[in-house]
Amino acid sequence: MIEARGLSKRYGDLVALDDVSFSVAPGEVVGFLGPNGAGKTTTMRILTGFLPPSDGSASIAGHDIFTDPLAARRAVGYLPETPPLYPEMSVEGFLRYVARLKDVPRAARKQAVDRALSRCGLSEVRRRVIGALSKGFRQRVGLAQAIVHDPPVLVLDEPTVGLDPIQIREIRTLIRELSSGGAGEQARTVILSTHILPEVEAVCQRVMIVHRGRKVLDESLAKLREGGIGLEEIFARKTSTDAAVEEARA
Amino acid sequence: MRHVTAIAGRELRSLFASPVAYAVLVLFVVLAGFFFISGLLQFQQYVIQLQMLQLSEQLQDVNLNDHVIAQFLGVMSVVLLFLVPGITMGLFAAEKANGTQELLLTSPLTIWELVLGKFLAAALFVVLLVALLSLYPGLLFWYGDPEFPKVAAGVLALLLVGLSYAAIGTFASSVTQSQLVAFFLAFVLLLILWMLGFLTELSGSAGSAPSELLRYLSSAEHFEAMVMGLVDTRDVAYFVVVVAASLILTKAVVESARWR
Repeated sequence: MIEARGLSKRYGDLVALDDVSFSVAPGEVVGFLGPNGAGKTTTMRILTGFLPPSDGSASIAGHDIFTDPLAARRAVGYLPETPPLYPEMSVEGFLRYVARLKDVPRAARKQAVDRALSRCGLSEVRRRVIGALSKGFRQRVGLAQAIVHDPPVLVLDEPTVGLDPIQIREIRTLIRELSSGGAGEQARTVILSTHILPEVEAVCQRVMIVHRGRKVLDESLAKLREGGIGLEEIFARKTSTDAAVEEARA
Repeated sequence: MRHVTAIAGRELRSLFASPVAYAVLVLFVVLAGFFFISGLLQFQQYVIQLQMLQLSEQLQDVNLNDHVIAQFLGVMSVVLLFLVPGITMGLFAAEKANGTQELLLTSPLTIWELVLGKFLAAALFVVLLVALLSLYPGLLFWYGDPEFPKVAAGVLALLLVGLSYAAIGTFASSVTQSQLVAFFLAFVLLLILWMLGFLTELSGSAGSAPSELLRYLSSAEHFEAMVMGLVDTRDVAYFVVVVAASLILTKAVVESARWR
């Protein structure tokens, strides 16, 4: 569903991403881990078409981000680190606008908005102005705008950052529900980045660790559990030493 | 095209969701009314003076078109210099400051659709302003007999000037994420463009090739010719070129932000 081939991103001399390749199967939920500045956001921005890679390419649901960018973007729902919201708009008005931007046909728009509202638990606040909502609700609106066009792929950049423990649990449950489909929706492929290791164990099937722009680990959680080493330990090993980078390079 | 109207519609709704748009409109209409009435009173006094002095020749040259309407539209074109940057400053800058730029650039729309949508919103606001303004000269048709084609040419001139300001303001908004910077950049650009003609006169180099070029580039030159009733394709073309060039630059800026 997601295919990344040799992605690199350089800002002048700074290498933000160095030859990263991976593929994600349909319905898979992948946790994207790494210290700050490791290249997580850059990777996500490339996949969503916000940034072009300096090298390499990627395709989403079979659409290449270079040769077929509009179709590729149509196939992705994206929640950036700061949810892209207009504080002066109503929840419903905002989702209707996003549905238009994402090419939801006019006849299906109302239904698409209603579905996104109910899936994200926003039906009661649909007429409220976004700026007056709590942080947790705003995050839900952020998720709702990502799924309003029912995309097969979701890219979520730190979806639980800044929320309180109860909100975090709610959002995690929501992400699990959104990935498994149901309620007339398809199962979705999800990539989410996070700093919270238990979050990966709670919602993901597979974990990918990037460090200094390189992929240093890509393994299913089930396999890791068999190994008997905790995720925290693995994360520390893979990101604390340069050996990990060297290993990946070899 | 669907995206263009979606973006313009959202922009206009946001503009009118805050009191800013209404404040600008009211201020503009009140200010315009003030200038219009003072112009009209001056005109009246002038006519009375001429009558008392029995200068019948000069009295024949005096008319509403040249002495009231053209003057009024001229002042309004300067007022637009301040107002339009206030409308356009948020077009791109606010999206960047808000983080909504990411939504726009990851949506299945082309950068042209985005730029045109933003410009369309500003352009429609300018059309509204100019329409409100033309009510004042319109009033004169009740009480006097201004020449309609001349008035129409003047309003067209004001509209074209306003649209060119909107395009330049759109560009200014695309290069920064601060609305304040966008406002001042637009204002300075517009002021320079407006003053180019005066500058050549001040420097005393009028007539030489470079100063003629500067005069041609000045928005005031083209506006003044048209507001006196002379609609020349060259003047219209000037404004079309300014709009097109500004939008092409805007598109380049938005696109290049991706590659950095």
